[in-house]
Amino acid sequence: MIEHDDHHVKQAFEALRREDAAGTPPFAATIAAARARRTARPRRRALELAAAVIVLVAVVVISIRRERAGVRLEIDLATVRWQAPTDFLLNLPGDELLRSVPQLGPRDLDRRTL
Amino acid sequence: MPDTTACAMLPEALQLELDRLHAPAYGWALACCRGDRPAAEDALQTTYLKILDGRARFDGRGSFRTWLFSVVRYTAAELRRRNVFWRLLPLALLAPAADGRPDPATALAQSETTGRLVAALDKLPRRQREVLHLVFYQDLTIAEAAAVAGVSVGTARTHYERGKATLRTLLGEERE
Repeated sequence: MIEHDDHHVKQAFEALRREDAAGTPPFAATIAAARARRTARPRRRALELAAAVIVLVAVVVISIRRERAGVRLEIDLATVRWQAPTDFLLNLPGDELLRSVPQLGPRDLDRRTL
Repeated sequence: MPDTTACAMLPEALQLELDRLHAPAYGWALACCRGDRPAAEDALQTTYLKILDGRARFDGRGSFRTWLFSVVRYTAAELRRRNVFWRLLPLALLAPAADGRPDPATALAQSETTGRLVAALDKLPRRQREVLHLVFYQDLTIAEAAAVAGVSVGTARTHYERGKATLRTLLGEERE
């Protein structure tokens, strides 16, 4: 599969392999470290679980706060009409006469005949 | 050549086989962790632990080496994802997480040739990098590389050809 013109690529990989091999930790040390981690794992698991719970709670709290901050009562002032309990005091007897223009003559007078 | 079928995988046999493949597995772990030695050691230890605890079982299909490499690859990816999660937490400030780049000691130890190769490989997409490593460094066939990378042979071949062409160009540019 490796062609002739890939020779320098292959050589570079071989050099890398030699360098990696020189820095490879011994198998026994790797296994010993792995076994040491096995005993430390329950504590780490508990820590991970605690961290996950903290993150979850924080996310829930933040999302609830954001939701609350986002919900605002929209008041359309144009449609609001507030009536004070004492408004009736402003109603004077016969005040409709003061708010309308008095008309003279019959109402059904046709203006086109004038 | 030791028997590495499923029934022959007693703990002692497993350990012997892991010992035999330790150096190539470490090289592969380094490739999966982009040259980060602590991360590669972490991935390899976790892989060995999975195998020795029976959480990863060799079913006898294919070779033990390709199976081991696929476990290393999966474990390295798992640890990478976990590191991303930890980096998002404020707790991560207490222990600096690996950023996926070769550590300074590694970079210093690299010769000019391998430094150029590592720099060129770093520019390739992950799949291409993996297939090239498996073929050129580990001397696997494309079919074996496909089994390790979890892709079809055709896909692996495409990654191999494209990766090789880019790598040649990059190494050629470096030389000029």
